[in-house]
Amino acid sequence: MKKNMPVPIKTEAVKEWVLDKNHLSYWLRQLRKDFELVAPLRERNDIVLKRIDRIHEIALDCPASIPSPKEFLFPQFEPMLTKGTDGISDLRDGSKRVIFGVRSCDVSAVNLLDKFYLSGIADPYYESRRKNTLFISLVCNVPDGTCFCAGLGTGPYLKTGYDIQLYDLGDRYLLQAGSKDAERLVGRHRFLMRKPSKTDHEDQYEAQASSKAMFAERISLEGARQMITDGKVADDFWQDVAERCFECGGCVYECPLCTCFSVIDRKYNAGPADEQVERSRLWDACMFKGFTGMAGGALPAEKRILRTKRWFYHKLIYYPETLGAFGCTGCGRCTITCPGKIDMASVVHRMGNEYSKG
Amino acid sequence: MEKFLTVCPYCGCGCGLYLHTEGGRITGVSPSRNHPVNTGSLCVKGWNSYEFIQHPDRLKYPMIRERGALRRATWKEALRKVAGELSRIKDSRGPDAIGVLSSAKCTNEENYLMMKFARAAIGTNNIDHCARLCHSSSVGGLSAAFGSGAMTNSITEIKDARVLFVIGSNTTEQHPMIGMHMLDAVDRGASLIVADPRKIPLAGFARIHLRHRCGTDVALLLSIMNVIVAEGLVDVEFVRRRTENFDAFSSLLEEYRPDTGERITGVKADDIKKAARLYASEKRSMFFYSMGITQHVTGVDNVKACADLVMLAGHIGLPMTGLNPLRGQNNVQGACDMGALPDYYSGYQAVKNPASRRKFEKAWRKRLPDRPGLTLMEMLHDGVRAMFVMGENPALSDPDTTHVRERLERLDFLAVQDIFLTETSEYADVVLPAASFAEKDGTFTNTERRVQLIRKAVEPPQEARPDWQIICNLSGLMGAKMHYRGTYEIMEEIALLTPHYGGTLHHRLDEGFGLQWPCPDISHTGTPYLHRKKFARGLGSFTSVGYMPPAELPDGDFPFLLTTGRISFQYHTGTMTRRTHIIEREEPVCLMEINPEDAKRLGIAERQGVRVKSRRGEITVTAAITERTPEGTVFLPFHYREAAANILTNPALDPAAKIPEFKVCAVAIEKAG
Repeated sequence: MKKNMPVPIKTEAVKEWVLDKNHLSYWLRQLRKDFELVAPLRERNDIVLKRIDRIHEIALDCPASIPSPKEFLFPQFEPMLTKGTDGISDLRDGSKRVIFGVRSCDVSAVNLLDKFYLSGIADPYYESRRKNTLFISLVCNVPDGTCFCAGLGTGPYLKTGYDIQLYDLGDRYLLQAGSKDAERLVGRHRFLMRKPSKTDHEDQYEAQASSKAMFAERISLEGARQMITDGKVADDFWQDVAERCFECGGCVYECPLCTCFSVIDRKYNAGPADEQVERSRLWDACMFKGFTGMAGGALPAEKRILRTKRWFYHKLIYYPETLGAFGCTGCGRCTITCPGKIDMASVVHRMGNEYSKG
Repeated sequence: MEKFLTVCPYCGCGCGLYLHTEGGRITGVSPSRNHPVNTGSLCVKGWNSYEFIQHPDRLKYPMIRERGALRRATWKEALRKVAGELSRIKDSRGPDAIGVLSSAKCTNEENYLMMKFARAAIGTNNIDHCARLCHSSSVGGLSAAFGSGAMTNSITEIKDARVLFVIGSNTTEQHPMIGMHMLDAVDRGASLIVADPRKIPLAGFARIHLRHRCGTDVALLLSIMNVIVAEGLVDVEFVRRRTENFDAFSSLLEEYRPDTGERITGVKADDIKKAARLYASEKRSMFFYSMGITQHVTGVDNVKACADLVMLAGHIGLPMTGLNPLRGQNNVQGACDMGALPDYYSGYQAVKNPASRRKFEKAWRKRLPDRPGLTLMEMLHDGVRAMFVMGENPALSDPDTTHVRERLERLDFLAVQDIFLTETSEYADVVLPAASFAEKDGTFTNTERRVQLIRKAVEPPQEARPDWQIICNLSGLMGAKMHYRGTYEIMEEIALLTPHYGGTLHHRLDEGFGLQWPCPDISHTGTPYLHRKKFARGLGSFTSVGYMPPAELPDGDFPFLLTTGRISFQYHTGTMTRRTHIIEREEPVCLMEINPEDAKRLGIAERQGVRVKSRRGEITVTAAITERTPEGTVFLPFHYREAAANILTNPALDPAAKIPEFKVCAVAIEKAG
């Protein structure tokens, strides 16, 4: 599974500090002066990731947020440009954001999104948001029943590939900076921090061990990949899966690694004099038959089985081939959202039950 | 990024979702993870419910028709015109010459104000809304049987049920989040009985699929009950303690032995017996129905038969049981509760009852008319000279639309208040721009009676206003001043006058995911299931009547039976879904489902154009050949203006509920061109 680890961004020794929990809100308040601060917030009976106005309302003991933080880099609906009588104006978002309190699995996902959107010809809309966003992730010590990052190396803590990573050590945080930007950011408030001692590292080790021990699910994506590539998984299996599909697109919308979008143009202000066209993009999903529809009306993937099966093939086979890691970080969001219970964990689980015996 | 917890504007499930905004613009939605209905899921419409909100087609300013065309007007001008015209017609022809259509898409507060406007400002009981077209038979049938016509149990109970009996509801496609709970129950070992002429997706999970002929529901249900009685599966204790009128009913049942049932419905007698045994012998049995039961000339009879079956087996008044009509619109339950009906004030307090009339007269300080008003279909087919239509589109949604359009054309005055220009607004003299669900506060009541807050996330486009403010403005101009500082004040008035909603004040609803009525007072925590220990009317009554065939059956000239309904990717008249890129791309054309055998006989190929003709009109659609629909029957969705199924449908009405028979009419089919 080691080959699935995100590519290391830095090579030198990890920069580490210790931050007293009493100073966390002061630190965040300082950060908020220069950034929009986004964090999980207890909103009535749910936890949502949104802009924080009152720091004490941040809920760090929360389960996975729905949807994933990808919406801050690649929103569900994003205006791209407008064309009016006075030319084209670019609507790219370049707001500076700190996203605090996300999980390691989501940071792992962002690393893969970066590979997808930024290598080769970079996607300018993603790029603009990405370079202005900094993630402060928390080593996960409250996994959901649906989480399975532990077996994938995408969590519960990261060795590389994070901006700033926090370990909860009871009364204090061990804070690791994984990038130059992150170091600079922490450096501005060095007076709040101290260097870690031996005890801190012992507690860190304990935190790592205990968070790993808390996972209920063990899902082997590698096992599933092999069963598929060995040709063990028959189409009957996928047909059963497809029959439970509600075609809601939720698996794709919730997935921190799904990247598909559609582009639409809309004409505002009718009348020839002040016509304005706005181009936007919005989340799309391979679960829809129209997604691969052709201009003449032909629908190559009209049968549902072709679409559900493809989603799993993409995550389990094409992703490792093209980006070097599974298209799944074990965040468990599809398990939460899928009305038909044909999410990654359930399907892989069932595949194991049916095909891995003997 | 900001996120606002609100309620989905599509079906009656009432899923909790967050609207996301950035810089005053909607940028997406996400499901509420802990909401009892959707628990972190949404259907495709919910996931894409953000897109139409800021569509450029939104109505942005009032418009007045001049020389045949609509022109921009100021609010002052438009409101004066509406108030002036309505007052003129009221003075010259009497208030009953005016009809008002309220909206199952608007909030409880707005529906309440609309019925107050009709009754107190105009002075007529001619107020109705689209519940007439979907569940008026439930209201009528269940009032007779139980004394109250709403879903008896809760959505969260479904997953723990042992038997689910679903008749006339394509649940996984039309109430997807309820369908999700049903699949959950099946996964946990529950047995599913589906009764539907079409092979709907849910049938794939059923232990028994009863494919009865369209319109033979009464015969099917009576023969199931016949088996229950014959095999001694009746819950005798329940029938004795809690019901009346069993003797007359049981003699009716004798005529419907399973073989008789088989002859009428086409379902094997054996399957009828199996379904009866399965449903009656398990205690945690829930019964669900929807439009397949209600939209018939025998709609009320169908509902009564469902109620009798539930009582016969004693499956009511407990968790994981009950009779559960699934409501189609986000707030159709609320619009009924609020009295947007010609014969009831809010809380089903009858207009005919002098005591309730006096109560509302006192509260509103106005004399109120004492005669029940006209229903939606009656307004459109005779009677009124002027109409005020809020958030409805009868020119596409009602049966025999050719006739409906003629009637709209002939009205002296028509005002339409909506978020988009609709087919109905083509006939409007004044069009008023309203705010969408994302641009106002208020409450929706979902199918399980859950009263939930919706929250404003963005400003309405340009000059558009929330419906409740428009009604207040108009009412003031017509001499009945309404003044509320916010929708919470309207709810306070509703709570005072409506026993069921006595405790559903906004500050209480704000705390969690709403309250299920009856919620009579400020400390009450809501009612998850109804008819515990006692029915609303005291004793439950067996009220079934015998089987009657549909009003128009196939014959030599029109040999096919047409049944209509919704598909999962479009919604009603499409004003919202057809402006949603992803959804419209999925189902852009009107497809007619036809059985392969029929297609072969007529020489129709897949995706070929066909002409469908009924006694009332004809449309051209595209054929989709599928086993889903039985031989001799074709299915059409009613969403498409370019191929409006309701040009064909039969306006024959249930005599009591006045619901038209959308589910059965006779058509002829031929290849187009």
